[in-house]
Amino acid sequence: MLQTLGLEYHYQHGKKIVFPEIEIDRGQRLLISGFSGCGKTTLLSLIAGALKLQIGNIKFDGQDYSSMSSLLLDRLRANHIGYIFQTLNLIPFLSVSENIGLGIRFSQSRKSRVGNLNQEINRLVDSLGLDKEVLNTPVNRLSVGQQQRVAAARALLGKPDLILADEPTSALDSDTTKKFLNEVMETFDASKQAIIMVSHDASIAPYFDSVIDFNKHYA
Amino acid sequence: MLSLLLKSMRSRMIPTSLVTISLMASMVLLLSIERIQKGAEEGFNQSISGVDAIIGPRSSSLELVLYTVFHLGRPTNNITTETINDVKQRSDISWLVPIALGDSHRGFRVVATEPNYFKHIRYGNNQPLTFSKGVPFAELSEATLGSDVAEKLNYSVGSEIQITHGSIESIGSKHDDFSFKVTGVLNKTGTPIDQAVFLDLKGYELLHLGWKSGKKVFSLEDIDLSSLPPDALNPKTVTAAFVGLKSKLTIFNFSKNIREYPEEAISAVIPGIALSELWSIVGLVDKGFQLLSWIIIAISLIAMVTLIIASLDNRKHEMTIYRANGASPKFLAAMVIYESLVIGLVAIIGAIILVTAVTYFATNQLNLALGISPSFKWISLNEIKVFGIILLSGVLSGLIPAVMVFRKNLHQALS
Repeated sequence: MLQTLGLEYHYQHGKKIVFPEIEIDRGQRLLISGFSGCGKTTLLSLIAGALKLQIGNIKFDGQDYSSMSSLLLDRLRANHIGYIFQTLNLIPFLSVSENIGLGIRFSQSRKSRVGNLNQEINRLVDSLGLDKEVLNTPVNRLSVGQQQRVAAARALLGKPDLILADEPTSALDSDTTKKFLNEVMETFDASKQAIIMVSHDASIAPYFDSVIDFNKHYA
Repeated sequence: MLSLLLKSMRSRMIPTSLVTISLMASMVLLLSIERIQKGAEEGFNQSISGVDAIIGPRSSSLELVLYTVFHLGRPTNNITTETINDVKQRSDISWLVPIALGDSHRGFRVVATEPNYFKHIRYGNNQPLTFSKGVPFAELSEATLGSDVAEKLNYSVGSEIQITHGSIESIGSKHDDFSFKVTGVLNKTGTPIDQAVFLDLKGYELLHLGWKSGKKVFSLEDIDLSSLPPDALNPKTVTAAFVGLKSKLTIFNFSKNIREYPEEAISAVIPGIALSELWSIVGLVDKGFQLLSWIIIAISLIAMVTLIIASLDNRKHEMTIYRANGASPKFLAAMVIYESLVIGLVAIIGAIILVTAVTYFATNQLNLALGISPSFKWISLNEIKVFGIILLSGVLSGLIPAVMVFRKNLHQALS
């Protein structure tokens, strides 16, 4: 489904990162771990099409990122990728259900995979361990842990082919982290989806089929 | 999209309200200037109304209007009563009111005329002269005052006044041998009528019985007024005459005939045309108003563009999240365009309602205080054009943050 080819990134401050080759198919769960500042988030942004390629290429279901405009990459992301941002990026004045609904608002193909939106949001909220009573609450009234689940539900809605998760557990304690990951993996549809998660926490490795440790890669 | 937009605007209630209020204040200023400008011009052009022509000695039309309507300057010549009576016989004339000017009372000009002056002379939009106190003069020893004269000199019905020869108050030139009794005070008109003292032409003639070449020869106290022959007080000359025609269509023909009057060099002036000419001369005020309007438009535009850009700056993150979730540039552009339109329309509609309500409810007060009647109307074509420019600028300025969202790297914007 996704393949990176010779990816390199040169930061403005002069640092250069040569990323390892990544290939992932549906049903696979990949963890990218490593110390802070090693380029994990940059790699995820490149895969999401949120950052312009400099050197190398990415292929997604046969589509070449290097030949696509940023607008086309935006469309590809909307239709095929669910992104859980490190900074959550929820809209504070919208309710929980409206924030979750944003995940498919701009994608016809993801919308078509959701029969009844309310039912699907209820199912996701339930499986991610969120209380249904918070659905109409403005998202900024929730705890960080609850917001983390809302961001995950938004990324999972409409069963995108690829789920990218950037340090989704960074603000959670170990118990909540385990609970959260269990919930995400339960909602994950192995027949249709793949997941790439970035984390500096190597202890979550058992939840994944394969792990790329940037620390070892650069050693 | 509309519900998303309204929720977004509600979440930024204070900055959005401030932008709208600032914009509305600019619009109110703009509309007020525009309407005061129009009101001032209309007020000036309607300083006298209901008069189709002013007949006076042959001179420039502006000069004639200046001293007959605005009581400014001095008439250099008079016209004889025979001529006036001759003109009065014309079949196309409905009415004629002669006036004699030259004297004053404590700085206010005296207008000697006939009682039917108050019936025929109108002001503003054909409004009749009305009395706040008393009635028009009926006897030669009676006087009627304009509202400013009564107010500033604290006169009322029954007050006795003496007239000064000429327009300058000075010792020795006072007609101190005869007093006039005030019979009535006119309501405020916002025109030079407010600053005039009205006397009967015969009373005016009486004052000058003992005068020759601007000097008092004998006092009225030295003669027996009852022994005067009946026609002794009929004025020999007058300064000018206001004329109402039976049909306005005959005005140009009438004017031509008067100019060609063989017995005396006289002319007829159409007040509306003369006042417009005068306005175009004193129109520096008008040009000043126009300049002020354009300065306000420019400042409003700059203020609005700055305020919208500043307020939308904190929306960049919100728009970036929409983009991260796949929103198209069209969607983001529509969001900011609609927001600018909502802000602009609310400000414009609010300003129109506010200014219209003020002009509707406070026209009389403004007229009394300033002599200006701002024109009551909802919106003019010119105002629609200006508002169109302002709305368009608002929309274009609103697009700046939207464009910035697409120009900036999504990765940086979200981190």
